[in-house]
Amino acid sequence: MAMKKRITSQGTPVSRREFLIKSGIVGAGALSLPALLAACGGGDGGDGGNGGDSKSLMFENWPLYIDEETVAAFTAATGINLKYTEAYNDNNEYFAKVQPSLSAGKNIEPDIVAPTFWMAARWIQLGWAQKINMANIPNSKNLRDDLANPSWDANNEYQMPWQTGIAGIAYNIKTTGRELKSVADIFDPAFKGKIGMLTEMRDTLGLVLMGEGKKLSDITTYDDAVIGFDKIEKAKSDGQIRAFTGNDYTDDLSSGNFAACVAWSGDVLQLSKDNPDVRFYVPEEGGTSWYDTMLWVAGSENGTSVEKWLDYVYDPANAARITASVQYISPVKGVQDELVKLGGDAAKLAEDQLLFPDSSTIARLQSWGALSEDEEAKFDERFAAITGA
Amino acid sequence: MTHAQTRFTSRPEWVGLGVMVVLAVGVVSLGAGWVTGITRIIALAVMLVSVVGLVWTAFVGGLETRRALAPYGLLKPGILWLSLFFLAPLWSMLQMSLSSKKSRFDFSPSFTWEFGNYATALTDFGPQFSRSFGYAAIATILTLLIGYPLAYVIAFRGGKYRTILLGLVAVPFFTSYLIRTLAWQNLLADSGPVVSLLNTLRLEGVLEFLHIMDNGRLVNTPAAVIGGLTYNFLPFMILPLYVSLEKIDIRLVDAAMDLYTTASGAFRRVVLPLSLPGVFAGSLLVFIPAAGDFVNAQFLGSPSTTMVGNSIQNQFLRELNYPLASAMSFVLMTVITASVLVYAKFMGTDDLV
Amino acid sequence: MSSAMGTRQKVGRRLINSAAVLGLVYLFAPIAVIVLFSFNRPKGKFNIVWQGFTLDNWAHPFSEPEFTDALLVSLRVAGLATICATILGTLIALALSRYRFKGSGAVNLFLVLPLTSPEIVLGSSLATLFLARGVERGFLTVVIAHIMFQVSFVAVTLRARIRGFDWTLEQAAMDLGATPQRAFWKVTFPLILPGILAAALLSFALSIDDFIITFFNAGSLVTFPLQVFGASRVAIPPQLNVLASMLLFGSIAIMVGGLIIESRKQRLAHGKKLARR
Repeated sequence: MAMKKRITSQGTPVSRREFLIKSGIVGAGALSLPALLAACGGGDGGDGGNGGDSKSLMFENWPLYIDEETVAAFTAATGINLKYTEAYNDNNEYFAKVQPSLSAGKNIEPDIVAPTFWMAARWIQLGWAQKINMANIPNSKNLRDDLANPSWDANNEYQMPWQTGIAGIAYNIKTTGRELKSVADIFDPAFKGKIGMLTEMRDTLGLVLMGEGKKLSDITTYDDAVIGFDKIEKAKSDGQIRAFTGNDYTDDLSSGNFAACVAWSGDVLQLSKDNPDVRFYVPEEGGTSWYDTMLWVAGSENGTSVEKWLDYVYDPANAARITASVQYISPVKGVQDELVKLGGDAAKLAEDQLLFPDSSTIARLQSWGALSEDEEAKFDERFAAITGA
Repeated sequence: MTHAQTRFTSRPEWVGLGVMVVLAVGVVSLGAGWVTGITRIIALAVMLVSVVGLVWTAFVGGLETRRALAPYGLLKPGILWLSLFFLAPLWSMLQMSLSSKKSRFDFSPSFTWEFGNYATALTDFGPQFSRSFGYAAIATILTLLIGYPLAYVIAFRGGKYRTILLGLVAVPFFTSYLIRTLAWQNLLADSGPVVSLLNTLRLEGVLEFLHIMDNGRLVNTPAAVIGGLTYNFLPFMILPLYVSLEKIDIRLVDAAMDLYTTASGAFRRVVLPLSLPGVFAGSLLVFIPAAGDFVNAQFLGSPSTTMVGNSIQNQFLRELNYPLASAMSFVLMTVITASVLVYAKFMGTDDLV
Repeated sequence: MSSAMGTRQKVGRRLINSAAVLGLVYLFAPIAVIVLFSFNRPKGKFNIVWQGFTLDNWAHPFSEPEFTDALLVSLRVAGLATICATILGTLIALALSRYRFKGSGAVNLFLVLPLTSPEIVLGSSLATLFLARGVERGFLTVVIAHIMFQVSFVAVTLRARIRGFDWTLEQAAMDLGATPQRAFWKVTFPLILPGILAAALLSFALSIDDFIITFFNAGSLVTFPLQVFGASRVAIPPQLNVLASMLLFGSIAIMVGGLIIESRKQRLAHGKKLARR
């Protein structure tokens, strides 16, 4: 169709076709977007069900929490494709990430996650974990007795611990100049500005409360714990505390930025191999014991694969191999002997106090009970205010 | 027939503008959830009708009409996108800030005109707010002091190397923001070069007195946070300064030198005032993002240097207290937008680029 | 008297020049650190203390799969977002600079608002929208968020660039017999293309580096900055410095390439002009 070119005083003419194409289609396209969005919302998006066990598994775990061979060995042994990711950096952050989906009943990608025990309790309470058929897991009998049947999973149906550990105090003897023995030591003004504490509230607060002579199992309300909070807050405003850290205290400890800090046993064990100045101790007043535990995520349909995995890692030989690498305390019975069998460095680990603590150390360890939702909220709020968030 | 049509479409630009506004409002209302169920269909219908009306107007109107309507056609997709993903979220945030949660893990807070969120935001987080604005202000002044000479030299003494020099200024910012901030951790570390230098020069005493160093360390201090903010937003000051300095006719400076006989006089009375638009633009471009930043405080700060950004992030992503986080964001946004609008009134937005 | 002025001026000059040089040094100090520490052999989990020189990291830059994967994700997001945003932004810029219409002032202001709002407000408000509407946060939401601020950026930068454009060129083309579309694509578009590309490239860089807005809207997606942030609390391998240095050198190369092409074009044009005379 021939176009009549008319040059108006305002410049270039706009042809009918050109305008239609520009405005109409584009306008319609723009209109469809909200409809698209609305459809996105109500529908069942997300990485939907895996449609029956699909011989593949995804395990979302903490970083640096496994050795280099287990994943491949598992796939070789069972034929199940394991996708192992390490994006679980922080309990609360991960919870916030998945809450929108799981609350709305949509699936998330991982089949297994490994939250810390108190977070696992929350997942179970919110209905985000499925019951595991322990009868299909013969190696579940290898679970350490002290870890079986916690109050929030009395029949041991929902979770199986991945690794356990101790939170105590690590210090750099070159910086402190002396040996440290108790919680009170980290409040020593001589170490002003060189103390680190964990953002993991239960470990930091637990140690401080035990330093004040409290028993963790007695703590059920915010008022029970307020004395600990106040002490931490005062230390912070006095400038005693340099920072609240996650796993990133290791280098500060090594370099002497921290004289001492609340720390996790496994990290320090790895560190002290390279730097013998770094020591770890469970304070006289007590240390906290914690564990990260595996849950089968609601909506995942790979139950058989999950069971195979759990069975695999609860075999003492496999568990020993993992322990030799991550150097946390295994929840599996019989690991000590397996480590000896492995020989070399692994055998030395079998004698390590931190991995296999003697009875006097164990006696000093305490763990938190469950907190009600409201009380936990008060705890978290106060702690967040102190850590400056 | 033509006469009636022309009268109908005698003000085509109003039709264009009107339709654009209707569509934008429609999109925002759908996005922000003002309309649900049947009203949603009605809104969509209204929008469709307006688009059809627009197209028909263009179709039957003359060339003039189409010319007048063309810009609106071009603008629509972009403006609608921004309306849906910039305006609607702000409304959502406002709505959320006045909501409350039934229980801790209540995932969809309900709108209850809860002004308490704002009260909490201002009382509990007052220190964070004042710290944020304070740090951002100091950082702005520092970027001005560091950036002005650089921009001046490039604009007036750069000659043919101007583009290269500007490129040099921009190059550092092609690395990741986070990695740059981490690099400052390296530089300011206790065992790092800066602290060692200060120790050899025996300046720790002075710096401790000025509260720049704290207990012999440079990182995990407010100074480190401000330093990080200054560094990361420096190009946002240099570039606008350069743009406005470059516009200054060099002959004006020469004339000023003739009149005032000193370089500094010429500078003070001619160059500086003419560069003020750049100074204002740069200050806003530094102050605004700096006030809302949390990365620098996270990597370089201590528990006592947290800024509003850290708190908002914490409330949103860890405490899951969306209402409180939204209230805090809104307060931050309001204070900042007020300054931007005042600036825009006096200076005109063209000068921002 | 003139010599006294001369010295004072010279001193002033030298001061300002040294201040500028110091400014450049300041700008490049952390960059030097980043590149330097990519050759480090760190003992601990973090790359803060210099231990020893090694080329291993450069030999195996992609040995940390989480970082490489995250980088690929970032590139994908940036690519998709930049294309969409450039189209939308160019349309807006064309509308603003070519036509005069009612509401242009308001549009100008509206465009600038996303650029002048703090990222944390943009990010958290968008996340609130997605939460309220039940949209799952992930790749799509990140791309949407990036397009949002990139559209503003492209529109504003491009508008500034093509403000001085001579629209009568199109008219001239049509005088010579071209249809309006042909005039646009054959005359206007090639001339504004460099501006479009420059704006697109810059917004691509913005997208790759975006942290705060992405942080709030990524759900379980991990982009490169998000991976760095997560890793910063656990362990930072030197490969990160290697990847960052690669990005840096890559961008420098592109920039230098662009400059060379532009100067060559100018020389050609200048040459042609001389030849015509």
